Amino acid sequence: MTLALVVSLILGQGYAPQRQGLDPLEAEKEARVMRLGKQLRCAVCQGVSIADSPASMARAQLDKVRELVAEGKSDDEIYAYFVERYGEWVLLQPTGGGLNTVLWLGPVALLVIGLVVIVAQSRRKAAAGATQQTPTPASGLDSAPAAPAGVPDASPAAAAGAPDATPAVAPPTDDALLAQVRADLEK
Amino acid sequence: MKRLIGPAIALAVIGLLVFVLARAFGNDPHEVPFLLSGKPAPNFKIKRLDTDQEVTLDEFKGRPIVLNFWATWCGPCKMEHPVLEYAWRKYEKDAVFLGIVFEDNEQNTKRFLEENGWSFPQLFDPKSTVAVDYGVSGVPETYFITREGIIQGKVAAPFSHPMQIDERMKGILK
Repeated sequence: MTLALVVSLILGQGYAPQRQGLDPLEAEKEARVMRLGKQLRCAVCQGVSIADSPASMARAQLDKVRELVAEGKSDDEIYAYFVERYGEWVLLQPTGGGLNTVLWLGPVALLVIGLVVIVAQSRRKAAAGATQQTPTPASGLDSAPAAPAGVPDASPAAAAGAPDATPAVAPPTDDALLAQVRADLEK
Repeated sequence: MKRLIGPAIALAVIGLLVFVLARAFGNDPHEVPFLLSGKPAPNFKIKRLDTDQEVTLDEFKGRPIVLNFWATWCGPCKMEHPVLEYAWRKYEKDAVFLGIVFEDNEQNTKRFLEENGWSFPQLFDPKSTVAVDYGVSGVPETYFITREGIIQGKVAAPFSHPMQIDERMKGILK
């Protein structure tokens, strides 16, 4: 087969002779032919529409579109004609039904799932942070200065190993409300 | 239970992706689908090259038909020409053989047939729209049509040996 192709190319016999296609229709109908042709895949090309391909097969398919337009067929009827023969493969823009729904909705679904995961993680982190920052009565009433974060608590309660002692996490110094509460308690 | 929702969604998404990809990888991207198998063969009305008379497919209903789309500019079509000639001699009493010339001109076709044998009727499809009616995706392609006018299948490749046609003929000679 390959040898035959090479020989036919060398002999210049591998190309379909130029022929006149169907006579172009009136401008408006011809524009419709080209619009429809842009949506139909050429059978012998790689992802090229029949309107854009110079292949003889594409020329024949475009002539068929021209014939169907001249017969007064609707766009849907013309697409259906090609789908009936070549399957949905022939449509450069897949329809939205069946398994194709996955193609259309898949990216949106993945985006939504991603957002849900991000929001859930953010909420979980915020909740964990709030739990850590909530002062317990022991630490709240303790007038001793709090140890900075990461530094072992040197308060008497902690030193004594009291069971109700808070973990060695200091309240943030910039929390105005907490500072106000402390000031009120000291009064 | 709540902890299982996340992994379950992830599994469902991965499963769906695997399913879609498996379907896609199972197909040859270069293979043009053909959906007319088992459906009625489209009728046509085109002229015979030897007599210039109009011929329709309906004229041959009741007999199995071998319909070959080909062109003189197609090397593989020329290679399979002797095989088809041989097959016609073998089956001419049982089946109708028809050639339909695709995207070619009459002069080239007549010259080739006169030099290489012109056993069965050759029909000329000037705009190749009959080929599109049959879902042709290139030449040569040979269609096997039953007595009832149903397309039993097509071979989208050249025949290199008569035995390849014998196998197909069994299906439409029943």
